[in-house]
Amino acid sequence: MADNLVKLHLSFFLGLRSLQRGNIGSLVMTVVIIAMVFTNMIFLPSVITGAIKLFEQQTIEYQSGNIIIEPKKDAEYIDDLENLLARVNRVPGVLRGAPHYDIGGVMKFKGNRLPGSIIAIRPRDETMVTGIFKKMVEGQYLGEGDTGVIVIGKLVAGHEDESEDLMPSLGGVTTGDSIEVEYTNGVTRTYRVKGIFETKSYMVDPLVFITWDEMESVRGGPVDQATAVLIRTVQGEDVEEVKFSLIGMGIQEEIKTWHDLLGKAFAEVVQSYAIINNISTFVSLVIAIVVIFIVIMIKTINNRRQIGILKAIGIHRTIITFSYVFQVTILSLMGILFGLLILFAMNLYFSVYPIVFPDGDIRPVFTVADLAANAVLLFIASTIAGFLPAWRIAREDIMTAMKG
Amino acid sequence: MIRVENLKKTYYLGVVEVPALRGITFEVKRGDFLGLMGPSGSGKSTLLHLLGLIDDPTSGTIHIGGVDMLNLDDDERTDYRLNKMGYIFQEYALVPELTVIENVALTAMARGISDAESRRASMDILSTIGLSARLNHLPRELSGGEQQRVAIARSMVNRPLILFADEPCANLDTDNSKIVLDQFHTINEELGQTIVMVSHEEWHKEYFHRIVYLKDGRIDREEQHS
Repeated sequence: MADNLVKLHLSFFLGLRSLQRGNIGSLVMTVVIIAMVFTNMIFLPSVITGAIKLFEQQTIEYQSGNIIIEPKKDAEYIDDLENLLARVNRVPGVLRGAPHYDIGGVMKFKGNRLPGSIIAIRPRDETMVTGIFKKMVEGQYLGEGDTGVIVIGKLVAGHEDESEDLMPSLGGVTTGDSIEVEYTNGVTRTYRVKGIFETKSYMVDPLVFITWDEMESVRGGPVDQATAVLIRTVQGEDVEEVKFSLIGMGIQEEIKTWHDLLGKAFAEVVQSYAIINNISTFVSLVIAIVVIFIVIMIKTINNRRQIGILKAIGIHRTIITFSYVFQVTILSLMGILFGLLILFAMNLYFSVYPIVFPDGDIRPVFTVADLAANAVLLFIASTIAGFLPAWRIAREDIMTAMKG
Repeated sequence: MIRVENLKKTYYLGVVEVPALRGITFEVKRGDFLGLMGPSGSGKSTLLHLLGLIDDPTSGTIHIGGVDMLNLDDDERTDYRLNKMGYIFQEYALVPELTVIENVALTAMARGISDAESRRASMDILSTIGLSARLNHLPRELSGGEQQRVAIARSMVNRPLILFADEPCANLDTDNSKIVLDQFHTINEELGQTIVMVSHEEWHKEYFHRIVYLKDGRIDREEQHS
């Protein structure tokens, strides 16, 4: 034990001195390469994680809330809505439930026709559950009791120049314009556009909203039905627990968390991203291993004669091998630290200037777990890559090594 | 102290056998200052490498202090070199990234002696050989003679049983060679240090107690000096 400690101490001493008084250029280059590899290992996964988080956030914030109640299987509507809402709003952990009622219709503007769903909402409830009201790019959001007005998504409003649109639109609607809506029940209404929102979600920006009162007027009387009830849970509440509480209240409709809603297809997408991440990590590690292997190989070959002499004067080959391993561990730690600094700077930059994608502004997500896991991986890979050439040269017989 | 019997060493250049030592038998007594001399290619350096356990003979035996050196494994030989032997090379062979004192303290530290104690022992030796003003210099900042004296200090710091020196003055001018040889003479006389040294300089003979002349891998003759 004491003998091993002496060996470790001497290995560290020799390794440290070699770094301190060796070639500074080679040291800086190796540290920079390790830092770049580490940055590369973290950056792509962080962007992918950022994209996944953005999609999840958009789903919760604009599409489903934390939990969504949908009609029973084979049913078109949730019936006895008021009773359901009363029960939902009593469940501990529920901040608010907001009903949606979808009606089919065709929107018309300056000769453009756009079929789609018009969603009736209760603005007061809706603003407690979704965040679309915060994403108005023109005009205002719906107010409680508004009639004769409509709020539309940016993709519905579109542009006069069709080529600028990503999907069919009304061809350049602005706030204050009038849109005619022909509902599937035969009723036709003309609405003033009260506001236009843009969430940058392809699932949300093609939506249009009217108030519940307006929908009742279209339907010709009070409506105690809904096509969905979106639920916002109190911050910090476990969504699954709230879902079970709702089931425990005897609600017969389909109750899904946002996670259930995204479903298997989304899980597969996430899994595909994980594969890309793993491939990227693997390639980065291979680059790190090859670079460090070459650096230490060159170093040991250049020091071959010196290694022979050290052995000749009685320095154990394990001390010599580990002196190089210590050099690599110090280099990797320096590289990882430098890489963390680069990532920290990138984090600051992207928090101010996010990466603009068509479906939202992505901010890379750097998690401590990812940073730690990749740092450990890189550290282990570097150590092995440094150990192998040092071990090989240190095992050479003294006379061969001393010939250089 | 050292007993060598029928020591042979053959090198192989492809399929061609090159005999370097053809059966050497001799002894070195404790406190000897033995010179190994002979023309180039006579096998004196090869013999020193075998005695210093940094190369393996093709056949024969080497006993040091009654221990059969060829029965030791690689790690045991390394330990033996560290604890019982000192080795001085032609080209000084100092570690370029270590200062003078660190170079000398290195083998003491390898024996498990504390850093402070190793440095103290190294300073004592370095001041004895007149290098106390150069403790924190790197080898490249020293002259050839100074570097060789540091190598001597390094070989002496563990108070070895035997000191091997492979043409230590080969790269030195006469003045520096004299300084180095005087150091050897002093440690041999004052400390009773056993020294085996390879040389091809005739004027070095006056320092040796005994000289073994090699020729074509065999002992040609021996000379005893008083």
